Amino acid sequence: MVFVGPSGCGKTTALRMVAGLEDITEGTIRVGDKIVNGIDPGERDMAMVFQNYALYPHMSIFENIAFPLRARHTSKSEVRSRVERTAALLGLTEYLKRKPRTLSGGQRQRVAMGRAIVREPQAFLMDEPLSNLDAKLRVQMRSEISNLQRDLGVTTIYVTHDQVEAMTMGTRIAIMRKGVLQQQGPPQQVYAEPANIFVAAFIGSPGMNFLQATLGRDESGFELRLPGQTLRLSDAVVSARPALAAYVDRELAMGIRPESLALGPTGGPSLRATVSRIEVLGAESLIYVTLAGQAVVSDEMIEAAVDVDATAASTLKQEAEQCQVTLIVRSEPDTDVRVGDQVNITPIQHRLHLFDLESGAAVTS
Amino acid sequence: MNTRYTWKTFARELTALILAVVFCLPLYILVSVALKPNNELFTKPWEFTSSPAFGNFGDAWNERSDPSIGHSLLSSAIITLGSVAFLVLIGSLCAYVIARRPGKLSGLLYFLFVLGIIVPFQLCIVPLYAAFRWMGVTGSYLSMIILWVGVFMPLTVFLYTGFTRQLPRDYEESARVDGAGIFRTFFRVVFPLLRPVTGTVAIMTGLFIWNDFFASLIFVGGTNNETIPVAIYSFVGEYLTKWNLVFAVVIIALLPLVIFFVLAQKQMIRGFAGGIRG
Repeated sequence: MVFVGPSGCGKTTALRMVAGLEDITEGTIRVGDKIVNGIDPGERDMAMVFQNYALYPHMSIFENIAFPLRARHTSKSEVRSRVERTAALLGLTEYLKRKPRTLSGGQRQRVAMGRAIVREPQAFLMDEPLSNLDAKLRVQMRSEISNLQRDLGVTTIYVTHDQVEAMTMGTRIAIMRKGVLQQQGPPQQVYAEPANIFVAAFIGSPGMNFLQATLGRDESGFELRLPGQTLRLSDAVVSARPALAAYVDRELAMGIRPESLALGPTGGPSLRATVSRIEVLGAESLIYVTLAGQAVVSDEMIEAAVDVDATAASTLKQEAEQCQVTLIVRSEPDTDVRVGDQVNITPIQHRLHLFDLESGAAVTS
Repeated sequence: MNTRYTWKTFARELTALILAVVFCLPLYILVSVALKPNNELFTKPWEFTSSPAFGNFGDAWNERSDPSIGHSLLSSAIITLGSVAFLVLIGSLCAYVIARRPGKLSGLLYFLFVLGIIVPFQLCIVPLYAAFRWMGVTGSYLSMIILWVGVFMPLTVFLYTGFTRQLPRDYEESARVDGAGIFRTFFRVVFPLLRPVTGTVAIMTGLFIWNDFFASLIFVGGTNNETIPVAIYSFVGEYLTKWNLVFAVVIIALLPLVIFFVLAQKQMIRGFAGGIRG
């Protein structure tokens, strides 16, 4: 399980509550069938990996890994054999006599893992364990930790603010905001069916495109009305959302992921837009298109956007003032569109998301 | 880098040189007088003797018998080491509680300790003497150790509290999750991380206690447990003072400190500089 969310959302606090390092005001925490609310951290049978690893600088790597065993008065021979076995598993055997300061970031990370593994606990708790590593090492350690977790088969709660880490490492992810759980489920489900506008904006890179539109209805069905153009909604979209009828003549937020937008007329209902920027990334291109419309500027949107890019809030507000919206289209690398071209963009209708503007909740049933 | 030798550099070097000479002068006088034979003591006070009397050290060592210089050195060592050990042990534990359990009581305790730094201990000598006599410990090592632990506890707690507050809590929390109790956490994890401030406390208080004359004279003066500064004072007589022997015994008293510093300086400096690098 991965806890993910922007800074200050309470994910580390939640983890520390599970560990017993923070008191809880209400509710229960269970390990298996056992309620552990009032139990001391050391007796909860969980091991924790801290953000800065918390390796004891005055102890050798051997002593660091052996510490949890010694705290439990394990026999000397047992300590030796278990530490050596753990070190071998993590490739640390040759460093056992060294002090932590002589190791690289990745090696220290492994020692911290070793200290957690050696006890064979019921659960691992990891608090942003990769945030101190450089990007390349992070990718490597990401897969090492995932493999290790799979091999050991121990329940792991992993806290991160990096959504890529969350998506790639989690069997389930829990998205938090301001201390409140927003949604939890398998990564793909959260990505494809976000419960609210915050989750939709937070998960995905580049993020989901949003624009404000008025829901209209005529004899042939529902449509989203934008300044100067409309987008007819397919029957499938409408029938999947019975609650939509209540939004007629009201504004709501439309969301669509960059890969769910197609360039050029594909037969379905489309929108006219102007290409404002093209980013060629090698395997794909990101086409930025601009159209007249109202950007969605809510607290949730700003919070989710700022987590990715600190200047995002001002960009959003600027677009809102200019009554313009920029959408990102993920396209093939060899696209022949040019900046300034007028293009049609066609949303894949069954991947369209609609959100209530006030509550931010997805309009579903 | 500019490597030109300018007047400014010359002036700086000259000042440093003069300062060095000023600082070395007492050491020169100490060694020079300690090695002078009796007949040169007052005839050639500034010159370094041409026939050094190394026997002065032996004479100084054997000059006193009850207690001997060796016994006084031992007394000084017991009092200094005993006091420093208790200061470090009790002070660090006390500071740990103050630093890690914030609350009104901790704040008040800390305030009281800081207040204690300001009060000069000489003010309390008379009531202390009365208290020690009532306890029946006057003239013993214990009285001196109790005195010094009391005198330096405020400063010790002040230094340890400041340092402990700077320590990241992650180490202790990690130990707690790993199942370590409070004492194991403190002695195996926290205390070794306090090494730099332990060094500071040990050197500051240790030097003061080793060199102290006043309190030692009052509490153990005239007993078999006299410390080395009091023993040296006994060399100064009303009618006759053998200054060469006084200076020789001063060198003997300095030697343990110098030897300790030479042997431990690498570790001490590493301890100060090392801090809490992960």
